[in-house]
Amino acid sequence: MPRILVIEDDDVTAREIAAELASHGIDTDRVADGCEGLARAADPRYDVITLDLMLPGLDGLNVITQLRAQGIATPVLMISALSDVDERVRGLRAGGDDYLTKPFAPDEMVARVDVLLRRHRQQAQQTLLRVSDLELDLVRHVARRGDTELSLLPTEFKLLEFLMRHAGQVLTRAMIFETVWGFHFDPGTNLIDVHIGRLRKKIDTASCAPLIHTVRGSGYSLAQTD
Amino acid sequence: MRRLTDNWRSTTARLILIYGSFFALWGIVVIGLIHWQAASYLTRVSNELIGRQADYFSMLDEPTRRHALNDYVSLETRHLNAWGLFDAHGRSLAGTITALPPGIPVNGAVVIVPQGLTRTDGHSHMSVRAAAVRLDDGRILLVTRDTSIVDRIGTIILQALLWGISLTVVPGLFGGWLLSRGPLRRIHAIREVTLPIMHGDLTRRLPVSRRGDELDMLAGIVNAMLDEIERLLGEVKGVCDNIAHDLRTPLTRLRARIYRLQQQFDEDSSESTTLEACLSDTDALLDRFRALLRISELENQQRRAGFDQVDLAEILREVHALYLPLAEDRGQQLALELPQLPSIRADRHLLLEAFSNLVGNAIKFTPSGGRVNIRARTAEDGPWVDVCDSGPGIPVDQRVAVTRRFYRAESCRSTPGSGLGLSIVSAIARLHGYTLEIADSENGARLSLHCRDAASA
Repeated sequence: MPRILVIEDDDVTAREIAAELASHGIDTDRVADGCEGLARAADPRYDVITLDLMLPGLDGLNVITQLRAQGIATPVLMISALSDVDERVRGLRAGGDDYLTKPFAPDEMVARVDVLLRRHRQQAQQTLLRVSDLELDLVRHVARRGDTELSLLPTEFKLLEFLMRHAGQVLTRAMIFETVWGFHFDPGTNLIDVHIGRLRKKIDTASCAPLIHTVRGSGYSLAQTD
Repeated sequence: MRRLTDNWRSTTARLILIYGSFFALWGIVVIGLIHWQAASYLTRVSNELIGRQADYFSMLDEPTRRHALNDYVSLETRHLNAWGLFDAHGRSLAGTITALPPGIPVNGAVVIVPQGLTRTDGHSHMSVRAAAVRLDDGRILLVTRDTSIVDRIGTIILQALLWGISLTVVPGLFGGWLLSRGPLRRIHAIREVTLPIMHGDLTRRLPVSRRGDELDMLAGIVNAMLDEIERLLGEVKGVCDNIAHDLRTPLTRLRARIYRLQQQFDEDSSESTTLEACLSDTDALLDRFRALLRISELENQQRRAGFDQVDLAEILREVHALYLPLAEDRGQQLALELPQLPSIRADRHLLLEAFSNLVGNAIKFTPSGGRVNIRARTAEDGPWVDVCDSGPGIPVDQRVAVTRRFYRAESCRSTPGSGLGLSIVSAIARLHGYTLEIADSENGARLSLHCRDAASA
């Protein structure tokens, strides 16, 4: 069972995180102080750390900087009330792996933690992604469903790569927008849905089982239906 | 900029002009008075002298009178005096004056001879007084005296007046101009500060010197006013932000509850569909709060740390690629026209956000089958980016209002959206020192962002 260290000084938020992760079968330990958090984070049993950036004692940015300086590579999800892009960039530069703005939707948080968990487990750099009969060759830049080669636009290729790397996981629209496009604002409307729709039309033709699934209220997931 | 004539509008210059003209006028009056006094005194003295001499000469016997008359002329070295002797009919008998002035009374009264007198010795008079007396034998004796000295004194006084005035007025005016430069320089300093204040930078204050004069008092009053305005605006914005911030947390929790509840129902059940609708409503609310907080975040962001040289064309290509599928889905054409563009100094992420908002808006308000055009053009002081659509356009009277928070044109109340998109764009524009222009295009609206080069602004 995966184990997560929650470094968070706000009781309500900490409880929320713990409850939501528990409902997905993830154990959590909670620490309310930066110094203590840094000490506990060295424990190699933790798979992911969620880190509030505004902490008493040692602030979040310092925690992560020292953590990385000690050579501890546990993925860190930073959680902050500041939505500023600069703040995010500073956090990621210090060694954070992902950034979430408070208040957050629990499913968004879980989806991000989930991505970090899996990244922790399979670090190997794959060059050929395969889900069911869908194949993506990252070196030759070729996508294939069964025997048919798919012609994808660059963005569609990146989108598919992201979905396939995290096959079986729920990816929220915000995560997709941030990772595939690298934009950190609210695109509004149904922009991501339209892009997914395009990709879906190319991959899930009438003759084969659909791979891209809409997760209601959250986002999308690419997975083989059983 | 500052013109020379501006100096004359200052209070100091006006005071100096008023005082200057007052003193000049007073000087004219005083000197006029002196002139009048001197002239009348000299006239009186001349009159008395001529009258007495005429009386005196008439009483002497003939040989003595001749001597006396000759002495009268030759003792006066400036040839002011002259005489003439005439018979009872006015014919000349002796003397240097050979014609009686016409109409002169022969009773010893001193009169002015307006036409002047001609003397046989060559010393003619223009301004002259004369007295004629009848001698005992019936002959007429004319005694005259040149009184042009009275006029000459008038001229001297007038010249003194002119010199005096010019020596007072010219340095006075120059001094006034010099004196008024100080206050004007301060006015210009104040104007330089007020420009950013007018553009919304309420942190600036008018300069106050240590002199504590009337300008400083005024600047102090204005500064106190600005403090108050800044405080009030901050309060209003703070209240707005606090509401948005405080409501966001419970809303997020509400959304989480609905989400969890929805997960318990079958995907096709009617409960699930209702809850789905609840979720999307909550999401719309959260989006709105997020946008609101984003604007205040942008407005508070005075620093330009994220600024770097960015490739505007690249940004526009990205935005175009991002929105192309959406436009095509709605049956619209999304075109991109890019000339050679220089790189500009800006925050890449913010520009992406601004153009995304502009293009997203244009697509939203353009009917199916319409056309949205992203077009860049170069200008002397930085490139322009136009986003033109073939939508309903924005009426002239609503063009300022659309950049305000929450404002939505009357005609598009039914279109989903937060109404904050253009406010975000205008906040980003302000942060960069760019201008957002809203105008008509050939068949819809044109929203243009002028990426003004900060150096040339």
